[in-house]
Amino acid sequence: MDWGKVRFFWSEVAQNFTRNAAMAVTAIGTVAISIIVLGVFLFLRSSSDIVMKSVVSKLEIAVYLKDEVEGPTITAMLHALQIDPRVDSARFVSKNQALADLRKRLHGQVDLGLINSNPLPNSIIIHTIDPENVPVVAQEFTSRPEVSYVNYGSQHTQKLLRAETVFGYIGIGIIVLLLIANALIIYNTIRLTVFARQREINIMHLVGATRWTIRWPFVLEGVLSGLIGAAVGLAVLWPTYHALVPKLALNLPFLPLDLSAVPVGHIALELLLIGGLIGMFSSWISVSRFVETA
Amino acid sequence: MPQGGGTRPRNIDSRVILFEDVKLVYPNGVHALSDINLQINRGEFLFLVGSTGQGKSSILKLIYREVRPTAGDVTVDGRPLSRLPESQVPFLRRKVGVVFQDFKLLRQKTVWENVAYALQVTGASSRDVMRRVPRALELVGIAHKSKMFQHELSGGEQQRTAIARSLVNNPLIMLCDEPTGNLDPETSSEIMALLARINAKGTTVVVATHNQASVDRMRRRVVRLIHGRIAHDEERGRYHVGLG
Repeated sequence: MDWGKVRFFWSEVAQNFTRNAAMAVTAIGTVAISIIVLGVFLFLRSSSDIVMKSVVSKLEIAVYLKDEVEGPTITAMLHALQIDPRVDSARFVSKNQALADLRKRLHGQVDLGLINSNPLPNSIIIHTIDPENVPVVAQEFTSRPEVSYVNYGSQHTQKLLRAETVFGYIGIGIIVLLLIANALIIYNTIRLTVFARQREINIMHLVGATRWTIRWPFVLEGVLSGLIGAAVGLAVLWPTYHALVPKLALNLPFLPLDLSAVPVGHIALELLLIGGLIGMFSSWISVSRFVETA
Repeated sequence: MPQGGGTRPRNIDSRVILFEDVKLVYPNGVHALSDINLQINRGEFLFLVGSTGQGKSSILKLIYREVRPTAGDVTVDGRPLSRLPESQVPFLRRKVGVVFQDFKLLRQKTVWENVAYALQVTGASSRDVMRRVPRALELVGIAHKSKMFQHELSGGEQQRTAIARSLVNNPLIMLCDEPTGNLDPETSSEIMALLARINAKGTTVVVATHNQASVDRMRRRVVRLIHGRIAHDEERGRYHVGLG
């Protein structure tokens, strides 16, 4: 590593930042605004993802057993489920327990004192690790002789799983579009700042600067503009997040949204990285066009 | 070969620039130069004269490889430029200092920084920069304005800065394209005197100019271009040489 050159490149960057302040501020401001828009969307997407996952994770299979099925058979079925790699948990609910649960759930709404016998069957409640496996596991039980009925809300489950997939794709699609739009806006701003210095680039050529000697300070400047712009964007997003999120949680209690689960630190790092990379590539492409044609 | 002037001694080893049957046609179809055969020796001082559009700047551009000849070849310091890879052009330009009518200074840099930049891009150490920049500034008489920016300088001072920048790498050749075009007669004389001093230290100097007074006073080799051809080449010539 030639430290003399590194020092020279950075001193060029520092000089350009201080002596072309208006251009630097324009580039940084553009990155900051783009990062704020992107940051808000990433947060919303992450939150909706959590809501969706929380809803989907509540999907369960209720396997209702025939009354004649005895304890050893049930134990064998539970054991088989516990070693099944697709299954997260399986628990037995006796008919007495089921009635007690029902009484508790309907307490004050329906008078269950009128019921003398217990019409509810014994059952096994199954949670799968991947909600996608709910229909598959449920299907395996429907034809078994011990089972009277399997309930996994087949139609709702399919719709919910499809909705989760569609929302996932829509989210990724919007993020990609936003990224492209932001990249184009930042690229155009940086391109204009480089274009304004085309005369300089020509002079650098004339005094014997190699293409890389010309290119490096511009690329470093782009990275720095991107990082500083992203940091400014985060400086706006962070306090806004901390001020709004508690109010959001209070005002939307019906949503199964655990806002503390939103990976804000991770999103912040992503935004910094996006800012730096877009800044770098924008400068690289812009300056390369002028360097090649000079 | 020179026409109309005295015989010029041509020593193969001493030639630093050589044009052989050079023709230049720009991409827009303009015929800039035809049948150019020209030898310039080490340490020589040469004026290129002729009215606007006769090909003076094109000759200079061929030497610092801003353009390539359509036919023929240009050799600089023994190296044919037609075979010079693009990656080597910056290294050629470190041997060839160029001075322009519009100075071409980096506006956001001070006088010192403009001159230092030409050294820094070559990878010179900061110690080297600290040693050579003041020397170049002293030589052109601009050391007292080293912290000033281009907009704070007069035309003559800007041209001195540009000359210092082209000098700082100890170039073999200095090319000047209308260096006094934007200057008053007194400052023009000073700049020409400065170029003569630089030449006296061994640098080959080629000046494209309309400055009749300086050409006539200095009596150096004069090459006149008419319609892209060498019409006259004379030792110790005058501005109107070859015009009858």
